[in-house]
Amino acid sequence: MDHTRSSGAPVGVADVMTESDFPSRTTLDAEAAVLSEGSTDTPEVAARRWVTEHGDMLWRFAMARTRSSEAAEEIVQETVLAAMQSYGRFTGGSSERTWLMGIAAHKIADHFRRVRRAKSPGMAGISPDATCVCSTCRGMFTEDGMWACTAGKWPDLKLSEAEKKEQADMLRACIDALPPGQSEAVWMRDILGIPAAEVCKAMGLTDTNLWTRMHRARVALRSCLETKFGVRKGKGQ
Amino acid sequence: MTGFVRDMARVLTMRCREHVVLFSRQLDTPLSRGEAFGLRVHVLYCGGCRRFREHLVHLASLGRELAAQSGREPGLPADVRTRIYARVATATKKN
Repeated sequence: MDHTRSSGAPVGVADVMTESDFPSRTTLDAEAAVLSEGSTDTPEVAARRWVTEHGDMLWRFAMARTRSSEAAEEIVQETVLAAMQSYGRFTGGSSERTWLMGIAAHKIADHFRRVRRAKSPGMAGISPDATCVCSTCRGMFTEDGMWACTAGKWPDLKLSEAEKKEQADMLRACIDALPPGQSEAVWMRDILGIPAAEVCKAMGLTDTNLWTRMHRARVALRSCLETKFGVRKGKGQ
Repeated sequence: MTGFVRDMARVLTMRCREHVVLFSRQLDTPLSRGEAFGLRVHVLYCGGCRRFREHLVHLASLGRELAAQSGREPGLPADVRTRIYARVATATKKN
């Protein structure tokens, strides 16, 4: 089954949401799908090529998540070294770019696991129960699966550049608060718009794993943003 | 019963708890035509799901904004690049 967005917008999305809501954002060009299969590069030549061609992208990914140039340098370096070691095992299927992103995602998640262990009380992550967008209910749904409350309307999206930037910064803070592993998946899938099938391959997840992870993350992000927007409502309409 | 009608009927008889999973999945993979149509009909009369979908659209839009912001940030600094090249060379010698 082909789940990639590059083959056109998913039927369902196109049916329900307009193209402008979810344009097919394949930031990874099809031509970037240079597979190492049949490549005669030595690992060192390949590694230099990765740094040249994908270094900027890896750096931005690591910087966006860690906001520390020391941590980002370590992550990019570890990514390239790990990729050299598993060079022979890269079988294609996803683009080389996405494959490297997947390795970087694991390195970033490891970095945050270390950081959180080091200062665990200081880092308040999003509670897994924080799914509700109202002040009075415990979860999103009642016991029989209906909405516990209807969420409030969010501030209009047709904002000034400054307001848009402020909201994007809030989203960034919310992504940072997700559990390691989820943040990286969100960054690859919902921020960079890498097709789901490629994210699965790069992160070693099945389709179902990814869907579940993304759904949990989106629900948590929604709840987190709701708090930041300050539009939490009481129970009922 | 055709697949379309069966899928639509299944979605229309679901609870909202399951609808939100489908809304999210729809961002990652195409739903069947029946499922997509069922969801579209459901939001006509369900305010909670309509709001949820609105929020997903909002999230996606903020995601694009964040991607644009991140894309404008500087790339790999030259000194870091040099250090990584050196590290790659050392790693190759060891092997």
